[in-house]
Amino acid sequence: MSNLLIISLAAAAVFAIAALGELLEQRAGILNVGLEGVMLLSGTFGFIVAKTSGSYLQGFLVAILTGALVGLLHGFFSITLGSNQVVNGMAIWILGFGLTTYIGYPYTGPLGLAPFPTIGGLPVFFFVALALAVGIWFLLYKTHLGLKLRSVGEDPSVAEASGISVTAMRYLAVVLAGMLVGLGGAVYSLVYNPVWSYNYLQGWGFIALALVFFSLWNPFFVIAGAVFFGFLWQLSLYPELLFPNVFSRYIWRAMPFLITIIVFILLSTRWFRLRWGATKPEALGVAYQRES
Amino acid sequence: MRAVIGGYAIRIERRADVRWWHTALASVLAILVSLFLVGIAFVRVGADPLEVYSEIIKYAFVSEFGLPQTINRATFVLLAAFALIVPLRAGLWNIGMPGQIFAATLAAFGVAYAFGAKTLVNAQLPGVIVIPAMLVAALIASAVYGGIAGYLRGRLQVNEIVTTMMQNWAMLWIVAHMIREGGPFMGRTAEGEGFTLPTSLRVPQVFDLPVTVYAAVVLALLLTWFLTKTTLGYRIRTYGESPRAAEYAGIDATRISTLVFALGGAFAGLAGFHYFLGVPGVYKIPKNYADFGDFSFYGLITGLIARNNPIAAIPVAMLFGGISGGARFMQGKLRLAFGIDYALLGVLMIMMVAFQALAQYAVRIERAVPIPATQRERGESRVESPHH
Repeated sequence: MSNLLIISLAAAAVFAIAALGELLEQRAGILNVGLEGVMLLSGTFGFIVAKTSGSYLQGFLVAILTGALVGLLHGFFSITLGSNQVVNGMAIWILGFGLTTYIGYPYTGPLGLAPFPTIGGLPVFFFVALALAVGIWFLLYKTHLGLKLRSVGEDPSVAEASGISVTAMRYLAVVLAGMLVGLGGAVYSLVYNPVWSYNYLQGWGFIALALVFFSLWNPFFVIAGAVFFGFLWQLSLYPELLFPNVFSRYIWRAMPFLITIIVFILLSTRWFRLRWGATKPEALGVAYQRES
Repeated sequence: MRAVIGGYAIRIERRADVRWWHTALASVLAILVSLFLVGIAFVRVGADPLEVYSEIIKYAFVSEFGLPQTINRATFVLLAAFALIVPLRAGLWNIGMPGQIFAATLAAFGVAYAFGAKTLVNAQLPGVIVIPAMLVAALIASAVYGGIAGYLRGRLQVNEIVTTMMQNWAMLWIVAHMIREGGPFMGRTAEGEGFTLPTSLRVPQVFDLPVTVYAAVVLALLLTWFLTKTTLGYRIRTYGESPRAAEYAGIDATRISTLVFALGGAFAGLAGFHYFLGVPGVYKIPKNYADFGDFSFYGLITGLIARNNPIAAIPVAMLFGGISGGARFMQGKLRLAFGIDYALLGVLMIMMVAFQALAQYAVRIERAVPIPATQRERGESRVESPHH
């Protein structure tokens, strides 16, 4: 049981770090629905580098760099070219899914490094996720930069009029977000489950995306949601620990996805929205064209 | 944006009006550039990409074995494209093709199972009754599965991308439950695949192709008519252009989004019905069923490249049905790593989006003329104006 909780936190770290990245850019008005693709690309490249070099550090750095570059690509389409952000995100997802299947295939199998160290048996990256949540909360709500980031996500033309460069702020957001999502991808492929197989991420990127919507754009709710989904996922892998002989193991594997939908429904009801207040960034997903 | 290079000025500006041929050209360029980029993978194993592509085309569109395979795959892609197109006309994203495909497939095999098809392989079951029953069950199951996402979107603003993706993964595991390890639909070989349909329950063929192939072409015409000529089609489009305006015009958001997802889901369901109950040599839920879920994402690109036009989607689906199958054939021949068709899918998608975005811009090259003094003054005063 305690093992179940510990490994739940390891899974939660992946969900949380990726979702915190997405939260940051959504606060600046950029919606990247292709989280899954960013995580697949960064996780796969990080895995390949770590496997061939034998160094965790290099793997993580490559993953973070990959995430930043893919974030930049999504940013270029969404900010500079101003095309539909949902289409761009879909493209990033399919690109990640298609490309990593081909590039990663020769590296199928375990990473082959010594297991990543833990802090007293607890997963390191869960603490990283906690620190990131505090850091992002502080950045967004306690600093001038955070105010600027949020303002371009609420009303870009007003922000521009008060002397904030919408383009610069949004690029900053997509790069920072890309780095975090890239780190999340690497935490999955190097630490949580260091065995590469094709499409290994199994929709975790989409769950992380859902988590941002669930969280009402609050970093601490992201952590809470991530722990819930981490636990749910582990329970679906080892259901016999709590519910022996109920359903086949395949039905259990379907559970986290079905429960995601159910949670989504509950959180979208009028009752919930009224209770917590809808705090969606006003200009989320809307391209900004400066009047010249 | 304006840059001056050696007496010539290059200006990049947003087009005021994007003509249909701008986007058509962008799509063609995207396909060509993607094929070029994927060709690099062939060069890396020492093959001549032009030769590889000509072999792919020969295999996929000329050879006796390849052509029917291409048509069957293209039909699958085309129907999956319709599953994207209908909701996208209303501005909504359906990426739930895999889930809807298998909801339909399980329902169809469920009907066959109920008629005892699993145990009596050579049974002479009344196909005239059972096949239509299987079709109806398939369409209802996929329409309901798709419709859920649409209803949630319309009623509660639940993001349809997340819902449909979650439905995909849930359905893939439900299929595993049904066909693996003693699941009710497990085949006799017990190798993790579904039971084989008896001959009497397979989709009938006309000129060696399942009738679903012809049905898909007819549906392309009907769907075009529905979307462009009927009131309901008009309402869907209005909603897609501006949900708020549509609501003022008395269009019910929940009803529209449920409808487009149910219809889209049914098209995806028909794709599953076509492939797993109609294509020679399949007639069951295969072991690698998840591959077909991935393959249905070619429908997503097909719909986008065809710019939401069901008839334009036909040649695009033919192209992708052929190239993806042919690429897999060549992958075996050249001993390439698994997944060259997936790589093509990924590169195509990003190129498509890049070129469609670039099509919004015009590049003009003109002789750089020194800007007249009067204009310069005006320009300067404009720069100063915000500081007043």
